[in-house]
Amino acid sequence: MRRLLSIEFKKIQTYKVFWILAGLYFVFLAAGILLAEFMINHIVNDINSRLPIPFPHVAIYYFPDVWQNVAFFASIRYVLIFPAIIMIILITNEFTFKTIRQNIINGMSKTEFLVSKLMIILLMTLVTTVILTAGAFIIGLSHSGFNEVDFFSRGLPFMTGFFLSLLCYMVYAFFCGFMLRNTGMAIAIFTLYSLIIEPVIYFLFRAPFMFKNTIYTYLPVNSVIRLTEYPAIPMLKKIMGLELQANVSFTACLIPMGYAAIMIGIVFWVMKKKDL
Amino acid sequence: MPVETILSVENISKSFGKIKAVNQLSFEVGKGHVFGILGPNGSGKTTTLSMLLGLIPPDHGMFSWFGQPPSNESRKRIGSVIESPNFFPYLDAVTNLKIVADIKNKPYDDVDEVLQLSGLHERRFSKFRTFSFGMRQRLALASALLGKPEVMILDEPTNGLDPQGIAQIRELISLVASRGTTILLASHLLDEVQKICNHVLVLQKGVMLFCGQVQEVLSVSDSIEMAAADMRGLTAAVKEIPGYTSYTETAGIIQVHFSTVVTPSDINAFLHQKGIILSHLSEKKRSLEQHFLELLHENP
Repeated sequence: MRRLLSIEFKKIQTYKVFWILAGLYFVFLAAGILLAEFMINHIVNDINSRLPIPFPHVAIYYFPDVWQNVAFFASIRYVLIFPAIIMIILITNEFTFKTIRQNIINGMSKTEFLVSKLMIILLMTLVTTVILTAGAFIIGLSHSGFNEVDFFSRGLPFMTGFFLSLLCYMVYAFFCGFMLRNTGMAIAIFTLYSLIIEPVIYFLFRAPFMFKNTIYTYLPVNSVIRLTEYPAIPMLKKIMGLELQANVSFTACLIPMGYAAIMIGIVFWVMKKKDL
Repeated sequence: MPVETILSVENISKSFGKIKAVNQLSFEVGKGHVFGILGPNGSGKTTTLSMLLGLIPPDHGMFSWFGQPPSNESRKRIGSVIESPNFFPYLDAVTNLKIVADIKNKPYDDVDEVLQLSGLHERRFSKFRTFSFGMRQRLALASALLGKPEVMILDEPTNGLDPQGIAQIRELISLVASRGTTILLASHLLDEVQKICNHVLVLQKGVMLFCGQVQEVLSVSDSIEMAAADMRGLTAAVKEIPGYTSYTETAGIIQVHFSTVVTPSDINAFLHQKGIILSHLSEKKRSLEQHFLELLHENP
């Protein structure tokens, strides 16, 4: 295990593209989370300008809501696509440089090769989740102060939810890169599907009033980003009558995990059968 | 003493669609052999090596390395250079080699040595991207040498190199062979196989045409060139030499063919007894190239 990780580390340690994209990801991630309140209030102001009785401004960075909100804004499509692209590049590079062939020739087993890539996915997801958790804690602390008693109650489910979201999405990206083998094509198709095709399907199949339980719910990317369904904004409940999400639903987790498991199965099968 | 078998191949076949790339190929490679696989481009050399290295599963047949079914453990004992050198362009030579050492479960101690051996030591911290074609090929050879493999597999190792590069690579191969490493070398260059190998397998359209020792190929029906002042006496006397089959005459020299092995000294002694003094005597070994072309010609 350590040997495989050591190999993977060598492959990325001086790879500029990896570090630049990873840096960009965290910049976008931080910007998305920190600007969310400002943008929501901007919309509130906009609505207020046409209403006689103004809505109060929202506050989303207080404990315990901060956990759910950070998880929600960290799993929007436009942010999640960054680590996915990194993963696509890492796996398609192995085909572009033919190093997958060379690794096998040199005595790595096909299983070891795939396991080492899955380990990198797991590690990247874990590191991101830890950073996000620390970030959410700091944000919460700077708003709530130390007086708050309930620091963590909703931290565990929503951070675990984010971990699963990112993990499954990275597996999708890995699958896409492995099957297509070509960096440009894999990124194009993955981005197109994630950012355009699924939203279009949503538009075509949306159910009236509530966007629950349609075909859309079961699509791979949507099932990933909807583990945290709504941001925790107390006002939303009052105004729209939406039930606030108290927890990440276990059944909702099964959908993306199922997709990811099938994809991993296919990758192992293809690796065994196909010429390299 | 029988030679230990390193590689044993039994009836392996591989088709790509309708094309039979390799057809019912069987051969054995013994320990310490320098085994050449010779054939024109597209004859199935690379497909054969790819199967032996676990890249392509064969449709039929089996093979075994070191007397065991092929596995990634057996591949760790083999150093290979297959077609183009495959490394991460953004990593330097040392890191690329360390990855190989990690895969083969070997310590990093060898990295420095193989870099010295391949003449890349000064450039060891340069990115692979910046290497010239010859340097890339040498790095591939360096990585194949990592961990002192028992077997080396080389696929067209001198392809595309300049004469100096070719000489360097051949020198390295000879050095490795002299240490007792078994070498499996695929090439379409006859001269290369003739210079380096002691065993050869000739392949055409995926079918084996010949397999045996290089000497064997070379010693089949030698001919000997002779000339004398008394040409008429010579041509008469030559026919009495045991094993004589035929002769051809060109520009005052006769080229005599024999069905058995006849040495120039045998001939000199025989003709001397007959009172014929030779002004020219030379043994013509047929080059592997001639034999190779004949083999291809006989099997269109």
